[in-house]
Amino acid sequence: MNCSGKRSSTHKKGDKKMNRVINVGYGEHTPERTPFLNATASAKLRTEIDEQLDQQVVEWYANVSEAAHLEGKNVDSEYYKRNLIETAWRIRMLRVAEAKALVEIAKVSPEAAQVWANYEQEEMLHDELFIADLEKVGVSREQFLATEPYLSTKLLSGYFSYLLDHEGPLGVVAYSYLVEYVNVKLEPRKLEALKGSVGESNIGGQINHSHTDVNEDHPGEVWEAVRHLLRSEDDIAAFKRYLREHQTILGQYFEELHRDTIAKAEKQSA
Amino acid sequence: MTQYTLTILPTGTKVVLPAKSRLTEIEFEILQKPIPFGCRSGSCGVCVIEVLEGSDSLGQPDDNELDFLEDLGRPGGDHRLACQCRLYGNAKVRPAADT
Repeated sequence: MNCSGKRSSTHKKGDKKMNRVINVGYGEHTPERTPFLNATASAKLRTEIDEQLDQQVVEWYANVSEAAHLEGKNVDSEYYKRNLIETAWRIRMLRVAEAKALVEIAKVSPEAAQVWANYEQEEMLHDELFIADLEKVGVSREQFLATEPYLSTKLLSGYFSYLLDHEGPLGVVAYSYLVEYVNVKLEPRKLEALKGSVGESNIGGQINHSHTDVNEDHPGEVWEAVRHLLRSEDDIAAFKRYLREHQTILGQYFEELHRDTIAKAEKQSA
Repeated sequence: MTQYTLTILPTGTKVVLPAKSRLTEIEFEILQKPIPFGCRSGSCGVCVIEVLEGSDSLGQPDDNELDFLEDLGRPGGDHRLACQCRLYGNAKVRPAADT
């Protein structure tokens, strides 16, 4: 505080005087571009995170109703269709939030923003792949458009908005790491099962979607963005928490899906 | 964890990176900038390198990269866009601007 009673308002980093420009990727908090984690530390943390996700997958199969339903021989038609509908709606809603995330990421890390933009470029229109598969099983585009998304799908979108408004973009990117890691690990098994239960000619969109995830190494791509967004041990702890919270919300979705299709049909036939 | 060494001439700077790391990582590992990077997306041509040893250690260039290298007058197997390479083994390179 100076003699006039005013606190110093000069924007300084150390002894350097800076102009008023902020949120350009480098600046007040990170004057150097050097990431918090070097390449080796990043690779080690990724291994640790992947172990957490492997454990989450075990818990997923143990705790979520009909978690392996689409991997079975007999697939409930309504469950299958509704899951495709919600997947397409989820992509449509989340791409809006993920585009907003790009703005927030660019403010703190242009490197992460470049990676995220490329990832979004590859994923942005994948709703059409799922809509194409819906048409193969008799659900028209009009029916898809007329279907109100589940509350759990809306809440996931709302959680993204909360994260961007109040915690930052790391949690949004964490969601993509979770789904990309799990997709690459589990999707091939599910698609093999669906070839038998739904028919290979009916799941072309989902196969194409999976090709992108695997061939473009989407888990690796998202991790590159994550690595640049991690700035402290607190960020790492938050990232682990985000992965658990996203799984909780996705679990709520699959419970809602199960209640609305398989459980409802069982109740009606009882 | 498997790690490999990238040696960058003419200074002989050595950078050790985890397997499959992008070469852009060297910017964050050392203070010097032995390879200049621009767009980091294979479209500006700033980061062309001559591969002196270990061309198989940098992965295979895709068609876009090969076409661009030809446009840049660097056809053939000795040159790469560093931003498009990952490290799959030890390699020795030199920025094309230094050749």
